[in-house]
Amino acid sequence: MSRQIVDQGIPHERASATPDAARRPARGGAAAHVHVEHPDPGDLTLRGRQRWFATAVMTPESDPSPAGPGEVERILTPGPRLGATERLEIYRRGYHARLVECLADDYPVLRHALGEDAFDELCRVYIATYPSDGPSLNYYGRRMAALLRSGAGPALPSRGFAADLTTLEWAMVEVIHAPASAPLTPEGLAEVPAEAWPGVRLVANTAARLLRFEYPVNRYFQAFRGGEAAPLPEATASATVVYRSGPTLWRMDLTPPMHDALAGLVAGETLEEALSHAEAGLAGLSEDEVGQRVMSWFQEWVSSGLFSGVR
Amino acid sequence: MSNRFGLPDLGVGIGLRTVHYGHIVDAEPQVDWFEILSDNYMHTAGRPLHFLDAVAARYPVALHGVALSIGSTDPIDRAYLGELRALRDRTRARWVSDHLCWTGVAGRNTHDLLPLPYTEDTLRHVVDRVRFVQDFLGAPLALENPSTYVEFAGASMREWEFLARLAEAADCAILLDVNNVFVSARNHGFDPRTYLDAVPYDRVVQLHVAGHTDHGTHIIDSHIGPVVDGVWQLLGEAWRRAGGVSVLLEWDAEIPSFEDTHAEALRARRFIGAAA
Repeated sequence: MSRQIVDQGIPHERASATPDAARRPARGGAAAHVHVEHPDPGDLTLRGRQRWFATAVMTPESDPSPAGPGEVERILTPGPRLGATERLEIYRRGYHARLVECLADDYPVLRHALGEDAFDELCRVYIATYPSDGPSLNYYGRRMAALLRSGAGPALPSRGFAADLTTLEWAMVEVIHAPASAPLTPEGLAEVPAEAWPGVRLVANTAARLLRFEYPVNRYFQAFRGGEAAPLPEATASATVVYRSGPTLWRMDLTPPMHDALAGLVAGETLEEALSHAEAGLAGLSEDEVGQRVMSWFQEWVSSGLFSGVR
Repeated sequence: MSNRFGLPDLGVGIGLRTVHYGHIVDAEPQVDWFEILSDNYMHTAGRPLHFLDAVAARYPVALHGVALSIGSTDPIDRAYLGELRALRDRTRARWVSDHLCWTGVAGRNTHDLLPLPYTEDTLRHVVDRVRFVQDFLGAPLALENPSTYVEFAGASMREWEFLARLAEAADCAILLDVNNVFVSARNHGFDPRTYLDAVPYDRVVQLHVAGHTDHGTHIIDSHIGPVVDGVWQLLGEAWRRAGGVSVLLEWDAEIPSFEDTHAEALRARRFIGAAA
């Protein structure tokens, strides 16, 4: 059971700076076809102008501006060196660049796996499909795996792998922002009488996510972090638990029996029920060997901080 | 010395950025104060707060937000305000600031600092909302002049007049970003000193400086790279007129080491010292 640390601060750090879109130009991929309701340009109330402006800014860069001929010039002034439309375009480019940047911060390994162009195209479909509806960007990228599994977006060489990788990376974002829970201590464990152990139920760390995949995505993730050039992997079932202990984020690979036992514990099963799930995957071992194996896992999980209490 | 809101001159600080977390927590460098990007520490209950608590326990901090959307015509987000107030209390932040802008409308958020049409109607709208926010927070709100890339036809006043009248009518504070003055002056073709002349300095509680990217036809407020001399000059003038006020460097992309970032901020002392 090996575990790896993830050195990550805040997935996307929000600031008041304007993204310099010239440093990340649009790559020309078509965004999703979205219906753009064009507000009345003659509505000169503050709300009317804001609706008009927001629509212009949020229209995909691959689409023509929704504004009619001369419309921008009637609402906005030209500058000393740029016309009104060119000035408005700074905001449209900045809007899309900022959200692409946000998604790239959430999904650095997906971006690497897909390549810059495909990732950029995917992001633009995402932005057009899911305009932000809240003040925070912390959870803006939460629907990326769903978008990939829906089949939307550009053609990708391995959409299933991409969706699994996205799930792993999003779990890290969730775990970073999840509330902390104090780990179960040896003293806490010692309070449980020996005869009560089979019936014990554990409280899972609130900052932990147990994941099962069709692809070995954590292995790919780790290769990326190690600077290795890994090919897109073939489908092979894998399981990983992502969790936070204090400020430190960890990933731990699990074998299928480990996953089944841990899933039972996380779901609130008794220790006896949960660990019995592992037995099927440990066929060929004696009863004692199974017991020792399972107890070593359990001790590792407890010492790693995957549980916060006993109930 | 204190300004009219009784807020202290904290000296020369830098914006807290995640790439510097480790150094700040481990080495506890000598820094006058940190500005916290409040939105990075809201809508989270996890790791960001772990580091924030460590910084706030050691250094004076002020909160700086980007999502209040004070100029929007959508209703004020009271849940957001509640979280902002809780963060202010948690960090014992000396003041709370955001931008004179709007970020979205009709339930959609662009996460950008969008410009307002500076009209009498807009002024009344923003004054009402600033008063509400200040009542909610129980403290003055400092509003920052944004960098802008367009202006609205039909505006009845320039931004400096709008900002001064807003501050007076709403009795709010001002965070004067002299880089934004520099950027907007180039983008719109006005003299930055015309802007500085119109600022009510007794309401200025903080000054911002930052790097920007000059594309020739326009300047982007990118917060990349060192501060240009023209911005440092504006800082010196504004600092002198304000009679001594907290200064902060923003550096948000291609961020260098902590030492280099802090050294760039400390260059401010040369200009505010010369102006004093």
